[in-house]
Amino acid sequence: MKKLFIYFFTIAITFTAKAQTDFSGYLATAKTSYTSGKLEDAHFALQQAMQEIDMVVGKEVLKILPQKLNALNLNPKEDHVMANTSFIGATISRSYGADTSGAKIEIINNSPMITYLNSILNMPVLGGLMRDENNKTLKVQGYKARLEKQPNANNEKATYILNIPLNTALVTFTVKSSTEPEVMNYINGIPLQQIAKLVN
Amino acid sequence: MKKRTTAFALAATFLFMAAPGHAQLMKKLKDKVADATNKVINNKIDPNSDSQGNTTNTSSQPGNTSSGKPVNKGGAGLKNTPPPDVLQQMNDAETANKASNYTDARYSLQQALMGVELQLGRKVLLSLPATVNNLPKDSTQDLVSSSQWGWSNLTMQRVYKDGKDKQLTVTIGNNALYMGFVNMYFNNSMVQADASQQNVKHVKVKGNKSLIQYDDSKGYTLITPIGQTSMIVWECINFSDENEVMRAAENFDIDGIKKTLGEQ
Repeated sequence: MKKLFIYFFTIAITFTAKAQTDFSGYLATAKTSYTSGKLEDAHFALQQAMQEIDMVVGKEVLKILPQKLNALNLNPKEDHVMANTSFIGATISRSYGADTSGAKIEIINNSPMITYLNSILNMPVLGGLMRDENNKTLKVQGYKARLEKQPNANNEKATYILNIPLNTALVTFTVKSSTEPEVMNYINGIPLQQIAKLVN
Repeated sequence: MKKRTTAFALAATFLFMAAPGHAQLMKKLKDKVADATNKVINNKIDPNSDSQGNTTNTSSQPGNTSSGKPVNKGGAGLKNTPPPDVLQQMNDAETANKASNYTDARYSLQQALMGVELQLGRKVLLSLPATVNNLPKDSTQDLVSSSQWGWSNLTMQRVYKDGKDKQLTVTIGNNALYMGFVNMYFNNSMVQADASQQNVKHVKVKGNKSLIQYDDSKGYTLITPIGQTSMIVWECINFSDENEVMRAAENFDIDGIKKTLGEQ
């Protein structure tokens, strides 16, 4: 057990040190290119540094996400962080439980869906128009959110998709074969405020 | 309620029809209504006027609107903000990253990228010709904007005009307005094959595949995609023919612009 702990600790330290080195390396290239007037090269190096930061932020978010959601266990192999070069920022995802009845959380920075969601959440008229028995607006840990239910024809349980805008990031929480109280119970185990601080 | 209204209307109609002098009565009534209406309208327009329509100057304050809200008479406006200090922002990013303050590190990097993009944009504008087909540049309309990092929102614009009715506007960068149009014509063989209406056609500007379009209301538009997402767009108003447009475009160093932007 002790050996295993030392092994994981060493890996974590190595990863952090490598990320720091990459970031510092890209920044050093950016500075050199900029001072020698190679603006395009400086631009490219800055973009790489930005991706490095996005990757680090993604890993930090994964660290604060819970290891378990009630009875649902974490699927460590499905932990995923992706830094984008376009205007969409980093994408972070993690899943819990089985594929058919588990939960998945996905955080996308600068998601194009943010504007659409905010207009539904903040305009009562539009929110009212978009409301039906399978869609509703609610509050989760003080954040406005939209819950969508996709009924399952075979049983009473359904797939629930909860979209929570956190400033420029969008948190999408999907739970398959579940009930609304169960979904709300799960989401309350996700530290939204801490995620918002990291990703924005 | 409906029945009562109908009965009242019928009674009034009968009364007016039955009266021998109903025309005079109607005229008097009409005049009275017109008088009353005019008074109400006048009072609404100028609340200071008395019943005779004379205006009093008691509460009118200069610089105030009728609602009492002051009118802005001028100010110094906003100062033109210099582009972000790139080196300072890079240093800030490094410090924030070392302190594990990733949000600030990211923000500083964004600022540095914006600063680099604005400088690149100015460099491109400086490389553009001062005169095109005898049209001098209007440097007051030079524009470089970068709203987000990545090339997706970096745009440079220069206007050439003779001060009368002839104008050339050149826009370099990501142009969402024309991107769909360009993709449609370059990537869709069906559309390319339909040449019955020659409002759009393929041309080459200094060896670069381009599209030229004519519209009576807009004039000529010449589009040259450069690299993966950028393009140069020449919008020519009151140019005599497409040859004049092509001659104007050949004044621009397309390879130089590509090189500056790092496009292939």
